[in-house]
Amino acid sequence: MLETIETGVMKVFTDIAWGQWISSAFLVVLGLFLGSLAARSVGRFMAQRTSRHHTVMVRRLVFYVIVVLFFVAALREAGFSLDVVLGAAGILTVAIGFASQTSASNMISGLFLLVEKPFEIGDFIEVDATLGEVVGIDMLSVKLRTPDNLYVRIPNETLIKTRVVNRSRFPIRRLDLTVGIAYAEDVERVESLLLDLAEKNPVCLEEPKPFTLVTAFGPSSVDLQFSYWVPKDKVLEGRSGMMVAIKKTLDREGIEIPFPHTSVYAGSHSEPFRVQLLGPEQITEKDLPDVDKDS
Amino acid sequence: MENNNEGRRDGVWAQPYSLASGQTQHHQLGHIRLWVTLLDQEWQIRSEALELDTDPASWTETIGHTLPSASVPLRRFIRENQSSTVTFLPALANLPTVIRPFQPLTIPPGGRCTIYVGTLVWMKVCAGDRQAVLTEIPLAAPSLTWVGRNTMEGELCYASPSFARLVLEAVPKRPWRAVTPVTLINRREEPLLLERFSLPTPLLSLHQNERGQLWTPGVTVEVETDMNSASLHVEQSLFAAAGACRHVADAREKMARGRLVRAFDRMFG
Repeated sequence: MLETIETGVMKVFTDIAWGQWISSAFLVVLGLFLGSLAARSVGRFMAQRTSRHHTVMVRRLVFYVIVVLFFVAALREAGFSLDVVLGAAGILTVAIGFASQTSASNMISGLFLLVEKPFEIGDFIEVDATLGEVVGIDMLSVKLRTPDNLYVRIPNETLIKTRVVNRSRFPIRRLDLTVGIAYAEDVERVESLLLDLAEKNPVCLEEPKPFTLVTAFGPSSVDLQFSYWVPKDKVLEGRSGMMVAIKKTLDREGIEIPFPHTSVYAGSHSEPFRVQLLGPEQITEKDLPDVDKDS
Repeated sequence: MENNNEGRRDGVWAQPYSLASGQTQHHQLGHIRLWVTLLDQEWQIRSEALELDTDPASWTETIGHTLPSASVPLRRFIRENQSSTVTFLPALANLPTVIRPFQPLTIPPGGRCTIYVGTLVWMKVCAGDRQAVLTEIPLAAPSLTWVGRNTMEGELCYASPSFARLVLEAVPKRPWRAVTPVTLINRREEPLLLERFSLPTPLLSLHQNERGQLWTPGVTVEVETDMNSASLHVEQSLFAAAGACRHVADAREKMARGRLVRAFDRMFG
């Protein structure tokens, strides 16, 4: 009994064409090796000539093409007929498709993203509430690095479905600041002060011209919109530097930036408010904490 | 040229100055003040931008041992093979410069004129005999502008408002600005209104004449049909009015065919 099992097992082992399997495994390993070698040299060649985005794309394409070619060769070497494998793959696709809808949809979304190219590696984008630099565009997801150095993975499907803002597509950007000034101030004077600031600031572009608009008579201030253009890589310093300069200039010129306040007016038809000045002893009486009063 | 007044002399471009270890050379030029200090192992460069309403016309230089206050930012550079000379080389902007006359100028059909425009110069601080560039400092705060058909396509340029002077004598002599004579030729049937145009400053070399002024080769702009199809040509020789000149700095970029065609498209903004 034991012997028959033993011979059976031995037969299974000897029947397997080890030579074929080893050579096909060798082909796969060789494919991986050659693929990464070719991808790396293509990447090095392209890095000096094109953008990082294109380099990464071509590198990946070269790698996958070489690996797939060697994998097909390995399958043939192992004795699989390509027709049968493809047929099996067809059936498998249906089965896998149902099982892994999410991955498949992400992959197809990824293809669309590649074709549509709404952003490239290195761009600064905004998806939902996430802001970050694109560090990788992969088959299933896009990876972002946020300004506070977090690694965020966003599925391709989300990118296809939601609004994506690319902040670095165009070389210049407009910054809009809202400046509130007191009602007593001269709006035209403030406007000319702001435009002077834009002219002096080295980050501010001369053209397109900076401008100011009065946007609203707010509850406690006249609201001005101050718009100016900066190069895309100078946005942070452009905004903060300008706000500091505005505060300094308005303080120096004695122009009030009001905080929200409310005036209470009794109206001409109503009785005036009765205002009583309290003496110090009455104030202390009033200020006694409730706990003390109760006791 | 040198007027010895308490050790104060006029600074000169492209002339090697020799310092002893521990000495500081102080420059006041354009809108900056600069201190270059040589120590046993290093060069120290301090620079400070001044907020001036007027344009100073002189460049003074003193060698001594005084240093500015500690609030002036300091940069340090390793001193190579005990070199003790420092040279100051001028350089033009690395981006094209947009010249905008304060008042628009009209050129009649078939007319031509030469305007003198001044553009800002950067100072390259070079150490040693090999003149290795330590740093580069703009001699006034450069302002940026955008030139292009819309806000999506175009390029960043430096802006230089100019009086577009037509008489050479009226051009102020400042050692920190380079003069470019621009000849404008209007070959159209209609008058040409010159509001602004882009000067390819990275393609211009710098030359110094006997009076210490910086000049660039002349530029000729010919407008034949449309503002956007103006052709630009940088002359090989210097303008005669500049006088005898010596070459002090090469252009930042070699003239390339493709680059020039692009400059044509955006000539008049």
